[in-house]
Order: sequence, then structure tokens, then C-alpha cells
Amino acid sequence: MNRALPWIAIVAVAALALLPFAPGAVDAYYFSFLFFVFLYAIMAQSWNLVAGYGGQISLGSHAFFGLGAYTTAILWTGNYLWGSLYDTYPNIYYFDPVTMALGGLVAAVAAALIGLPLLSKLRGDYFALGTLGFGEIVKVLFVNGGDFTGSAFGLVAPASSFDTLRPHYWVALGLMVATALAIRALMRSRYGLALIAVRDDEMAASANGIDVLKVKVAAFAGSAFIAGVAGSLYTFYIFHVGPDSVFDLDWMLLPLMMTVVGGTGTLLGPIIGALVMYAVFDLAKIVVPDYHPVISGLTIILAMLFLPKGLARLRAIPGKV
Amino acid sequence: MANRLLEVTDLEVAYGDVGALWGVSLHVDAGTIVSLVGANGAGKTTLLRTVSGLLKPKAGDVRLAGQSLVGKSPQEIARMGIAHVPEGRGLFRQMTVLENLELGAFQPKARPRTKELLDKAYALFPRLKERTHQKAGSLSGGEQQMLAIARATMSEPSLLILDEPSLGLSPLVVQQMFALIQTLHGQGVTILLVEQNIHQALKVADYAFVLQTGSLVMQGTGAELIADPEIQKAYMGVLE
Amino acid sequence: MFNLPPPDILLQLSLNGALGGAMYGVAAVGLSLIFGTMRLIFLAQGAMIILAAYFVRALFYGLGIDPFLSLLIVVPVGLGVGWLLYQGLFRKAAAEADRNVSLLIAVGLMFLVQNLMTVIWGGNTAGVVTSYTASGIELLGVRTSFTRSMGFLIALAGTGLVMLFLRKTIVGKAVRAASEDMDAATLMGISPHRVNAIAFAIGISLAGAAGVAVATTFPFNPFAGFIFSLKALVALALGGIGNVTGALAGGILLGLIEAYVQFFISGGWTNAIAYGVFLLVLMFKPEGLFSRPYKKA
Repeated sequence: MNRALPWIAIVAVAALALLPFAPGAVDAYYFSFLFFVFLYAIMAQSWNLVAGYGGQISLGSHAFFGLGAYTTAILWTGNYLWGSLYDTYPNIYYFDPVTMALGGLVAAVAAALIGLPLLSKLRGDYFALGTLGFGEIVKVLFVNGGDFTGSAFGLVAPASSFDTLRPHYWVALGLMVATALAIRALMRSRYGLALIAVRDDEMAASANGIDVLKVKVAAFAGSAFIAGVAGSLYTFYIFHVGPDSVFDLDWMLLPLMMTVVGGTGTLLGPIIGALVMYAVFDLAKIVVPDYHPVISGLTIILAMLFLPKGLARLRAIPGKV
Repeated sequence: MANRLLEVTDLEVAYGDVGALWGVSLHVDAGTIVSLVGANGAGKTTLLRTVSGLLKPKAGDVRLAGQSLVGKSPQEIARMGIAHVPEGRGLFRQMTVLENLELGAFQPKARPRTKELLDKAYALFPRLKERTHQKAGSLSGGEQQMLAIARATMSEPSLLILDEPSLGLSPLVVQQMFALIQTLHGQGVTILLVEQNIHQALKVADYAFVLQTGSLVMQGTGAELIADPEIQKAYMGVLE
Repeated sequence: MFNLPPPDILLQLSLNGALGGAMYGVAAVGLSLIFGTMRLIFLAQGAMIILAAYFVRALFYGLGIDPFLSLLIVVPVGLGVGWLLYQGLFRKAAAEADRNVSLLIAVGLMFLVQNLMTVIWGGNTAGVVTSYTASGIELLGVRTSFTRSMGFLIALAGTGLVMLFLRKTIVGKAVRAASEDMDAATLMGISPHRVNAIAFAIGISLAGAAGVAVATTFPFNPFAGFIFSLKALVALALGGIGNVTGALAGGILLGLIEAYVQFFISGGWTNAIAYGVFLLVLMFKPEGLFSRPYKKA
């Protein structure tokens, strides 16, 4: 049954992903719904890499998401760098892979810079608290960034040249699949084995010649890269990047929750978790609009009480992806 | 048959998929000192932790005065009369000597008599009385071990379990420790002792069991085992 | 560069900072207790404080009960609520090796409480205005708000009572023992569920007391709790995780830092600097500024 489960999940996710193409489907709603599912799944994969596979609980994902988003907005508007490149090449900057990669890179560099001191000094809860503090600091830096970051209001990118969400849908889907495949390949490589070894027993890993700090920082930076790309993706959807929206703690809490509900340390867990949780939230928004946030809280509690190991119950097999 | 206080039958324990004990049976008669000896990693500590409920057995039974302990929590087992001084002593280092001792008498049976039990413990361990208000973590290694044992006696246990009491102590303090164990024995306390210091452990023991990689390989009275050439060769470094 | 302001202004700043910071402190004391036995960062603490503030407000406007008098209701109710929360939500998760489960239940509870408050009382900012809200008293030659001073006293009294409980009663000692080494504590016959439930009950009743202080001094809204939880965490780290008096001192220190930063630099930087200090303390003095090294045996 355990062998069949991943395939059932893959088929279910694929079926849902194709939902907008069913005849008579309400185009805009499904596309935006699935866009967010994919976006959260990418964020959940990001958290899963450092926390699920790496065993380092980070509470700073929103900082890296925001860094990716701001990088994109700053490059896109470009006022203080070189004048807006967008004015010259209006179409290049939409989902521009270089911009998105730079968004990820800025987040990854920030993660490496902060991760090096944090991870060499802090363990467990202390590391989690440290990343939480880091996230708040980054937010304040952007609020006080003057014209460069647009201060408290943020930056507004040029309006969409698309009148449909289809491109967003495809890019998000592609990135979600790419992230999952990249993590799968990573976890099957020597590096993945080292990461699991560090998670399960740091002392033993170190005794076996693994550079524990290097492995941890690399996972943290890799996770930040993914979050930065997700932030970049979100910028192309929302246009307005402000400190309260992209550094919102929900960008950390929800992916964390989705991963745990789906199954920490599994490849499909984050995707299943993102789909299920986002569907519950969205459904509650429609069915009981006044109470929907209450339902979200209740769902998390119930999921944790009755499904503490997550929906993709494969986590007991360490190192198996 | 003598009065069987503790009876361990076909005990199997595993950490995940890795087996640690493979069908071990042993017993401790009331009023005796029983030593459990063996090399590092033989499973001695695992056995003790299973008896006191910190580990759950995969199979087999543990009975205290006829009552099964399997499935019971450590705190329930403590209340049934087993006091376990764990490896590393398990002291509350940030708390004072007095507080540690008071917690030894935490369980309902002993709590109302804390004062009386405290006087008794201080009579037996006068050094601790001098250190009453010091943090346990500030005591010397020997004093810490004394405190751990004193704390365990505060619950007036029917069975006292000691895991490596001589670990990290100087030879002189080790001598005091074994003298103390015999004093407690003289007061009628039943003791299950795990020791690396095999010669000493067999000397004080009424009966002893030898554990090797998770299985029982030998048993007999302390005197029999000390005289056994196999034991001498394997554990006491006696050359032929 | 800048001139030092006159001493009376410095004193005023220090006093305001300390009085405000005591509220972070009392929240941190609750977090410290819960973290101590359960190794759980109880992120919902701030939401519970705001819930208590709304409760105090309802007692005042609904039944005319004075906010400070309502301590007599809020604190015992907090004890009961805390006990029930543990038994209902955290008991099962506390036995799991994976502590993320407890953490997420706390997050779920935070969402739930925040949004229940929004549904019941609306999302707007609320407050409690009594006849003495605007009145001030003379303290150390400086005029300060009466309600803030009362909040400070509540924080002091709450922490003092918790300290007495932990130091003088055998059950309190059991809670401390369990915080230091849960395995060793169970070998003494101490039940983990019992000490966890006690820690929770006290933690939530402290949230109740803090709720009284918050309701009388600040305007609040259902979502103000999370930032309170964060500030309490900072206070906790400053004071040393697992150190009750340190937590209160950490809160007061955080209040002072905020007051000074706000005055000398700018209000926009208070959070960044507070969290910066937090990071530095975590990295260079993780046992906190006010405690002996915290070691797990």
C-alpha cells in the first residue's frame, strides 16, 4: 500500500492540476486557486528541505520569500539601478528566468550570510527563534529602505500585460514540478545522504567526515533559494510588493503547517499538504465566509490531533524519498 | 524458592529495528544484592531502563512481587517501589541538595514522612547535611553519587537499582561507595547493581548475572563467578 | 553627535520603558514555564493575553466589574482554561517525540482564538476606559500613568507568586525538576502530564493577569497578540530560557531598549534593534543575560 500511495497522490494532484481545462470550468477561479496551491507547495518544499530533511526548524521562510519578491520588484521597476529596463524591453521582464533566479540568489546569499553564524552557534529551538528574529529584522530594514524599497508602502510594478492567469498557472506548475524533481535528485545524491545523516545524528555524521556546518548552511541556503523564487513568482502575480504583504508571517506559518499536515521529510507531503490545506481554507471562505479563519485554526488542530505524522505517512523510513 | 522480588522473563528490547536484548531472564530475591555485569554495550543499562519503564519491551515480562510492570509508566513503577539511580545520576543540578532529597520522597506513600526520611538519609550521608543548601551541580562527583543514592532511598523502595555508581569516581570514593552499598544491604534494602568494576560488583553480590551482547551467558553466586576462570580471563584481565 | 537629554527625561524614559516591558515579562514567565516542562514554544500566549483583555472588557462594560477587581475572576478562570487546554489539546501531542506537532497545535490555537475574537468582538481596536485611565501618579519624582504602574505591580506580583510556588511547594519543585530532566523526574514518581498541565494552567492564568494589564493600558485588537508573543520570546531569550525571574527582567530590559531606541533613533527601528539584540544574545549568551549557564543534564 505504501508503494501505491505516492502514485495515487501523483495521479490525484495531476487530475486537479488539469481541472481548469475541463469543459465548462470557471477559468479564472481555478487558475488562481491552483496558482496559490502551487505557490504554497513550492514554499512548503522549501521549508521541508531545511526542516524535514535537514532537521533544522526554520521560522524565517517569510524573510526569504520577501527578499525574492523585493528583488524582483526592484529589478522590474529598476528606478535606482539603471532606469527601468522594463521600459526598454517590456516583455522580457515578465516571468523573466534571470530575474527569478536572481530573486532566489539574493535570498540564498542572505541565508548563507545569516546561516553561517546562526547555524554554527545555535541548535534546535534557539535556531528557530534566531530565524524568527532575523525575519523581523529584514522586514524593518525594508520598511526603512527609503525610495529604494518604497518604505512602508512598497513598490508597484507595471501592470499586467496578460489578461488571463494561464501563464501564471503554467509557470507555477512548472516551478512546483521542477522543485520537487530537484529535491528528489538532491536527496538521492551524496549530499542528500549527508543531510539525512546530519539530521539523524550530528555526532556520527561528523565522525564520518561530513562537514556538518557546511551541509546545514547549504540546506538553509537552498531552501531560501526556493523561497526567493516563490517570492519572485508572487510578485508577477500581485504587482504590489509591500513589507506587510510579502513579509507576512503567513508565508512562513502556512507552508510549515502544510508540510506537517502532508508529511514532513517526504517528497509528496508538501504538495499534498498545500493542496488539502489551501482547499480547506478556500472552501471555508466560500461556505462560511464569516467564520473561515476560525475553520482554518480548527483544521490545523484537528489534523495535528488525529494525523500527527501527516497524510503521506512515509516519514518513518529515513533517507527514503 | 526464596522470595522472588523481581522476575524478568524472556525480555526482548530493541531500539527501532536494532535489537538490544534477546530473551533475557533473571531474578532478584528480596533482601539480596544482585549484580549484573558485562562489557560496554552488553545491554545492562537497557535492561535497567526497561525494568523502570523508561523503555518499552518488545516481548517478555517484568514482574515486581508478582505484579507485571509491562506497559506501566516510569512514574507508576516508581510508586510501586522501584527506585532507579540512572547512569549519569539524573540529579536536578540546578536544585539544592535538600530539594533533590525532597523530590526523592515525592510519591504519595513517602511524602507525608519526608521529614523523618530526611533525618534518616542525613544520618547515613552526613556529608550531604553539610551541603544541604548547595546546588547539586556544585557537588563533587562522589558527593553527587551519594546524593543520587540518598535521593533514591527517600522513597523507601523495595528495590533499589544502581546503574554504574562507581563511574568516574576515584578509587578511594569507589571503596566508600561499595561500603555504603553494603550498609544499605545490611538495612534490608534489595539492590540490583550494574557495574563495570566487575571484581567489586561480584564481591558484594549474593548472586550475579553476566550479560554479553544482549544475552545472558552465565550466572551464579558472586563467589562462584569471581573464581570462574572464564570470567577472570574475559573481564578481570587475569592472565593465565 | 547628540546631546544627552536632561536626567528627568532619561528617568521618565526608563520608567515608561520598564513599566511597559514588565508586561512582556509576565508573558515571558508563562512561556518559560510551558517551555520548561514541554519544550514547546507556546506561540498562542499573546492571543490568550488579548482574549483575556477582551474578557476583562466584557466584564467591565457588561457587568460593571472594575478591571483590576476582575483579576479575582480572570486568574482562576485562566488556571482552569490552561488545565483544560492541556488535557484537551496538548496531552496527546506531549507524548510524541516530534515536537512540531505541539508547536502546530499552538499555531492552530492562535489562529482559532484570534479569529473567534474577530467574529465575536469585530476586528477593530478596542479598549477599556475607566475613571482613572487618564490619571497619573508621582513615582521617583516623575509623573507616570496609574494604569501602567498597576500593570507593573501585577507583573511583579504574578512573577513573585510563581516564584514562591516553584521554590516553596513540593509540586512547584516537581515542575522545576521536570523542566531540568523529565526522565529523572518520572523516576521520582512525577507524572509528566501532571506537571505539564500545571505549567499550562499557571501560564494561562498569567496570560489572564497580563490581559488585565493590557486592557487597562493599551488599545488592542484581535491580532495584537502575535507581536506580543514575539516580544515575550525576545524577553525570554534575554532572560535565559527556563529562568522565571530572568524572564521578567528580560521583559523589563526589552521595554527599556524599546523606549531608548524610540527616543534616540526612531520608532521605525525599535523592532529591528530589539530583534538584533535578541539575535546577539542568542548567539553569544544563549543562557540569557541573567542566569547561570543553562545545561541539560
